[in-house]
Amino acid sequence: MKIEGSWKLAAPRETVFRQLMDPRFLARSLPGCEKLDPLPDGSYQATLKIGVGAMKGTYQGRVEIVDALPPESFRIKVEGKGAGGFVKGEGKISLTAENGETLLNYTGEAQVGGVIASVGQRMIQAAARQIVDQFFAAFSRTLLPSPASSTPSGGAGSPAS
Amino acid sequence: MIPEPFEYHAPHSLAEATRLASELGEQAKLLAGGHSLLPMMKLRLAAPRHVIDLGHLQELRYIREAEEKIEIGALATHFQIESSALLNEKCPLLADTAREIGDPQVRNRGTLGGSLAHADPAGDWPAAMLALDAELQAVSAQGERWIAARDFFVGLMSTALAPGEILATIRVPTLPARSGDAYFKFRHPASGFAVVGAAVRVKLSEAGHIEQVAIGVTGVGAKAYRAADVERELVGKSPTARRLVEAAAHAADGVEPNADLFASAEYRHHLAAVYVRQALERALEKARA
Amino acid sequence: MSVKLLGERIKRKEDPRLIQGRGHYVDDLPLCNMLYLAFVRSPHAHAQIKSIQLEEARKMPGVGAIYTGKDLDGRLGLIPCAAGIEGLKIPDHPCLALGRVRYVGEPVAVVVANNRYQAADAAAKVEVDYNALPAVVDMDRAVAPSSPLVHESLGDNMAFVAKLEGGDWKAVEADASVKVLKQRLVNQRLAPLSMETRGVVASYSPGEDTLTVWSSTQIPHLLKTQLAVMTGTDEARVRVIAPEVGGAFGSKLNVYAEEGVACFVSRQFGQPVKWIESRRENLMATIHGRDQIDDLEIYYRPDGKVVGLKCRILADLGAYHQLLTPAIPTLTALMILGSYNIPAVFVETKGLFTNKMATDAYRGAGRPEATYIIERVMDLVALELKLDPVEIRLKNFPPPGKDIVLATGVSYDTDNYQKTLKKVLTLSSYKKLRREQARLRKKGKYLGIGLSTYVEICAMGPSSRMPAGGWESGTVRVEPTGKVTVLSGTSPHGQGEETSFAQIVAEELGVPYDDVTVYHGDTNQVPMGIGTFGSRTTAVGGTAIYLATQRIKRKMARLAAHKLGVKPGEMVFRDGKVEREDGSKSMKFAEVVGEAYFAKQLPSGVEPGLVENFVFEPPNYTYPFGAHVAVVEVDGETGEVSLRNYYAVDDCGRILNPMLVDGQIHGGLAQGIGQALWEEHVYDENGQLLTGTLMDCAVPKAHQLCWFETANTETRTPVNPLGVKGVGEAGTIGSTPAIVNAVIDALQPFGARHLDMPLKPEKVWRILKQGPAQAA
Ligand SMILES: Cc1cc2nc3c(=O)[nH]c(=O)nc-3n(C[C@H](O)[C@H](O)[C@H](O)COP(=O)(O)OP(=O)(O)OC[C@H]3O[C@@H](n4cnc5c(N)ncnc54)[C@H](O)[C@@H]3O)c2cc1C
Repeated sequence: MKIEGSWKLAAPRETVFRQLMDPRFLARSLPGCEKLDPLPDGSYQATLKIGVGAMKGTYQGRVEIVDALPPESFRIKVEGKGAGGFVKGEGKISLTAENGETLLNYTGEAQVGGVIASVGQRMIQAAARQIVDQFFAAFSRTLLPSPASSTPSGGAGSPAS
Repeated sequence: MIPEPFEYHAPHSLAEATRLASELGEQAKLLAGGHSLLPMMKLRLAAPRHVIDLGHLQELRYIREAEEKIEIGALATHFQIESSALLNEKCPLLADTAREIGDPQVRNRGTLGGSLAHADPAGDWPAAMLALDAELQAVSAQGERWIAARDFFVGLMSTALAPGEILATIRVPTLPARSGDAYFKFRHPASGFAVVGAAVRVKLSEAGHIEQVAIGVTGVGAKAYRAADVERELVGKSPTARRLVEAAAHAADGVEPNADLFASAEYRHHLAAVYVRQALERALEKARA
Repeated sequence: MSVKLLGERIKRKEDPRLIQGRGHYVDDLPLCNMLYLAFVRSPHAHAQIKSIQLEEARKMPGVGAIYTGKDLDGRLGLIPCAAGIEGLKIPDHPCLALGRVRYVGEPVAVVVANNRYQAADAAAKVEVDYNALPAVVDMDRAVAPSSPLVHESLGDNMAFVAKLEGGDWKAVEADASVKVLKQRLVNQRLAPLSMETRGVVASYSPGEDTLTVWSSTQIPHLLKTQLAVMTGTDEARVRVIAPEVGGAFGSKLNVYAEEGVACFVSRQFGQPVKWIESRRENLMATIHGRDQIDDLEIYYRPDGKVVGLKCRILADLGAYHQLLTPAIPTLTALMILGSYNIPAVFVETKGLFTNKMATDAYRGAGRPEATYIIERVMDLVALELKLDPVEIRLKNFPPPGKDIVLATGVSYDTDNYQKTLKKVLTLSSYKKLRREQARLRKKGKYLGIGLSTYVEICAMGPSSRMPAGGWESGTVRVEPTGKVTVLSGTSPHGQGEETSFAQIVAEELGVPYDDVTVYHGDTNQVPMGIGTFGSRTTAVGGTAIYLATQRIKRKMARLAAHKLGVKPGEMVFRDGKVEREDGSKSMKFAEVVGEAYFAKQLPSGVEPGLVENFVFEPPNYTYPFGAHVAVVEVDGETGEVSLRNYYAVDDCGRILNPMLVDGQIHGGLAQGIGQALWEEHVYDENGQLLTGTLMDCAVPKAHQLCWFETANTETRTPVNPLGVKGVGEAGTIGSTPAIVNAVIDALQPFGARHLDMPLKPEKVWRILKQGPAQAA
């Protein structure tokens, strides 16, 4: 499954990059994040309670950030499993400075297995998008005191055109 | 297909139900017909610690007329709506929509409120609610509030209801003079859900122009929506065949259509235009009659 | 005979109990101290099992034990494969995965608990750590040298390569007028999806040292032998019972891991053990059907005569062999010429391992694929030459009634393909339909008319060509009261043989139909048997009963003749009497029975009692055939296909009960139409099963179908004395190509040549979108 999109964030690129690397901000932005502990190898161990609507499950997993090129880009690897199955994904996030603000583009591939894959194929794409959007919406709120200053580019959660 | 263990509650009044719901908060799920909740629980995709069964709340099973409007209790079943003489006469869109849902077993158990609260992207009801500008009453231990259908569906299986709130009443306007409505649905061959569903209510002027038109579309995007671009193309205009085709082509503008094994985004986009046009044609035919 | 039973529409003996919900299926069985199983299954298509943690699960309430592959290794035998193909690779197939998982849904561990809820809760607590490996999913890639391997020790993903070549290819090559057409056909994977899922109860009694197994199976006797071997139990101490079985369609013609594990656990605990499959498990871990890619080269002459057919088959076998997995595609090769006399044939079948559930017998088993190929071949050539599909078929049929050996080496028992075709053309008003089609096309409406003139192979079969015997046993016992007990080694599960077998026996013995009771499915009751599959039950099992009845009649005739002082050869059985043809000397049926049991004046050399057994060994298969016409409408805006009419003329030999034949045809048609239009069982590129519930897995429903007009021709087979051929699979085999041919026909204004199944609206819409074809 391919996931891609872009968000406009009302903060300079350096700030956005720094905060994306900071587990405290990540923990606050990750939907349903119950735990985000750094591991010795630089990755994080995470417990997330995520899903859509009534379909929510707890997933245990690892998040790892690699190939960081501050303040331009990094890659993120996510791996998790729970009662609903497993998720494995890798994505690239790149930041472009735009008049003191930041345009964030993300693109990635995710693989879903187990129950969610076999019963949820009609919704999985939309669910993934919704969860990613939740993350960025929450993250953009951590950037500045005023939440109104960040909006997704091109309407809620629309992909980069 | 056995759910995780949960505690079962069976309140006998709405007041008791709201109290339980507010006490238990996110730990609890409300149970109406169970036709959406129980499958998720059996697949262990939902695992609430508590289940509050609304089944005993007779007070939420009514369908009644109230000043130019019709009020429906959230626990009214699809079958009740399909077979209601009142609705068939004064708000046929609802009866027509109900008829398109599932099979008799599903219609006998599934409820309007459950379906709306569940907000399945392929559910039938949201389209009709949007086309009718329905108002939805949420009741909680703290009181009640009315939510417009436009604001109710916020995302994929996500609604404006807060934890602890119970959807109690759905209020829709009756069909005015010179008006017609229709629901057209492309069924998924396996689930029977809407690959695309288009609900239309249209009102003609004396001169036969479109005075008002409201189009709700389900199945296409992550949530049901109003086909505002189509409506805009039509209001105040005379509904020629050509204009309908042209307007309906905008049925999925601004929406990122779902893609699944059965239908790609492109095909859904196409179906949306076809079904919106067909529903418009039918609704207009009824308005002229 | 005064009461005519054979050939009549007799209501089914089975139905009152089934309709009223009074039948007993495996899950209805209550036993004291029953334990319940829940399986932990792999969410990965291919992975190494790093570790399995059981501590949390063991602490759960009601848990008796948890076993993993290691616990069973060496203590419970492997899952058997009975297919005999030269050079076949058979990988080890343990009941619980050992070290590696190879498909989503593969059982990894089993929890034993006091009830099914506790079992499920504990199973959810079993933690398995996997190391995911690349999955083999796509067949074209599975054959490449660079492909990951499903079984590394086997060296490649090829389970077998089989070739079938026949006829005179030199003549084909020498003929300058011959043209070649190439086409790839995909026959998609399907889920058999019986209404009742699988289920098993195993009950080991330590005192008696006996193992009794109730299983939702088509083959109780074969299962008994296999479970005895797998569990190391003396076969004489194993009893298998197939109670009511709620559909199977081939998917229960098997020996499954869960059956072996249930027996093992019951032996461990000395308590009965139950496992009932959930629908989700049913979709992922019960065998699947079809799944072939067929690359065709069709050699034909300008006059429409097809002179040669080459086909390269890639058959997706899944990760392991179940009982008959690799044998199924070989039936495709055997039947690839259908009802046509094509003088040269070449088929190469490659059976491939992939990281998916095993495929195996699903209604038709290899023959629907063959029929789909050859019936599409006919239409493709007809299209190329602008011939009517009727014309091309008539051109390629063999002349009726001549015994011919096809290039495949197959020789059919009877044929008269012209006759069924003619009948279906009349039944459907074919010419009128064509005129209507032309009229509608002018109005922008797309009607499609599709033909299929199939032949199938059934009544499986001569033992020399079957993996484990093709005979069947029948026992008839006249009880001292004159009531008749019939025991069959077949194992019907919805087809209605309790009715048709009773018809045979009652008519032969001249006793009331209600006096005959048919039993099957209990290995302690029925001395021996093979089972129900391959449209064999009536043709092979019914024949055994018919012949056992003849033995009873001979004995009773002898007893009556002895008593009456006439010759045994003069006796007839009618109206509850055994008498001379002219009625001059007569005894009541019950009186003759009394002679046998009281045994006071038996003729010398005659044993007391009235029980006879017959084991029938069929000398050949039978080859039912038929002609179907499908009429579809294609929605010009959405591409949606709707079925308008369906006409089926089937020749299944002699018809014992038209209602049963109709029932089999109707159900079969629904399944065949389902494959053409809706059904597909889909794995994604990582080997995840996407159609894991009935929300996505589209089984045909009554409202999607139309009224079926059915008729028959009755050409009796010489292969068995009843003249019956078998009808269980005919509808499925004949209908799929008829529908696809109809849809392609509807799309002629758009120049369509072929679309792969299922013909989902979007695929059709993409053709419509291209716009009308330029007239050539
Ligand atoms: C085989 C089958 C076919 C179906 N086909 C269709 C179809 O064609 N079209 C279609 O639209 N639907 C279809 N459905 C869904 C059906 O209409 C469901 O009944 C409906 O979606 C949910 O209603 P319910 O009363 O069963 O709700 P439940 O399953 O009991 O609840 C659903 C969700 O809503 C919440 N909830 C329920 N009542 C309230 C309330 N009063 N206030 C707040 N929250 C509440 C629950 O907590 C739960 O999260 C089908 C279902 C099945 C099983």
